Amino acid sequence: MVRPCIRGCASAAHVTLPRALLLAAILLALCDAALAHGVTEGDKGYIQEISGIHLVPFVYLGAKHMVTGYDHLLFLAGVIFFLYSAKDIGLYVSLFALGHSTTMLLGVYFGIGINAYLIDAVIGLSVVYKALDNLGAFQRWFGVQPNTKAATLVFGLFHGFGLATKIQDYDVARDGLVPNLLAFNVGVEIGQLLALGAILILMGFWRRSGGFFRHAYAANVAMMSAGFVLVGMQITGFFVAS
Amino acid sequence: MYNSDMPTRAELPSSRQLLRSTAIAVVAAAGLLVTVVLPAEYAVDPIGVGRFLGLTTMGEVKGQLAREAEDDRRRDAQAPGRGSSVLPGLLKGLLIGEARAEPAAAQEASVTLAPGEGSEIKMAMKAGAKADYRWTASGSVNYDMHGTAPGGRESSYKRGREATGDVGILTAGYDGHHGWFWRNRGQEPVTVTVKVSGNFTDLKRMK
Repeated sequence: MVRPCIRGCASAAHVTLPRALLLAAILLALCDAALAHGVTEGDKGYIQEISGIHLVPFVYLGAKHMVTGYDHLLFLAGVIFFLYSAKDIGLYVSLFALGHSTTMLLGVYFGIGINAYLIDAVIGLSVVYKALDNLGAFQRWFGVQPNTKAATLVFGLFHGFGLATKIQDYDVARDGLVPNLLAFNVGVEIGQLLALGAILILMGFWRRSGGFFRHAYAANVAMMSAGFVLVGMQITGFFVAS
Repeated sequence: MYNSDMPTRAELPSSRQLLRSTAIAVVAAAGLLVTVVLPAEYAVDPIGVGRFLGLTTMGEVKGQLAREAEDDRRRDAQAPGRGSSVLPGLLKGLLIGEARAEPAAAQEASVTLAPGEGSEIKMAMKAGAKADYRWTASGSVNYDMHGTAPGGRESSYKRGREATGDVGILTAGYDGHHGWFWRNRGQEPVTVTVKVSGNFTDLKRMK
């Protein structure tokens, strides 16, 4: 490295050590702004601060994840859109839960690394698929009605991988991982039930009004559009984000 | 509708049933807010259930992290673009060039952390400079051995949770300040002492 000379090269060696340290101290004090430790906030920051078993906090975080996971909730709303009996709703929601629990637990425990943007794009596609299915598009276009139970389970698997990538990003401590993950999963199901309750109440009011059957078609088209927005957003993120 | 049978009106939930469900939902939400959500997000715990569940601690940690991040942002806003001017870089080059000619002798620094407190000790190093280090703590601490470039960009070399010490060689990935951040998540004050020898200047506590 070329050492800059101020008063001739020989003079550079005359900058005495105490003065050098004083100048260094002044410069470093001036640069204090750049030296602050980058603090991670929110749930991720909290998780990075703890290790060991924390069951209730992880249940809470799982529930929060599901309740604020609008892509998961959109798919769920699509699944129950034309389901009316408690038995059917219970069955389909359980299939979805089985799917996402399996891949969430396996994905985090084995550290299966999938690009978050790509898996979230697939989740967006699941919303598009469900909306088209509700519209009867597969019967009209292809003359088939794919098994709705199987589709719910399979897409559930993809939703679970999406959950797994988010949790891996949190950097959960290895110490106490399995109990914490199971607690997180319980939380996801609790969050799912809470969200489902709210969706069903709203759907209940809507279905009683004449509007539901008039607007069901348009509503599913809007859902399909939302699904495409999710896909576009995630694909863009894949290419744009570093 | 298109892929299943349409129900008759009589098969749908009655209006009374729906209104009752809505009332139950509102009451349940209020209960959850008070016992779970407000403690976990904001450390607001009116009846103490949040503390019992361990969620108020989560809210307190998140609040502390948010305050520290806000302080960092404000400090960065007050001193913008420090890395852009040529003169500090010139002077730094001159001075840290001196340090390269005379590797610092073994130095020691220590800091005492109150419960919940975090602090940093760092050194100024050139890219590729190495420093042998050993730090010990009187209790468990979370740590992050990392470097900060003049523009503010950070990268972590090594991290750990609930550790009482570490030994190794820190190799600076770039010109800047490199060292440790420790956080005491215990109930008692903890003293951390680090001994370093190698190619660096100005080992000191950052805040």
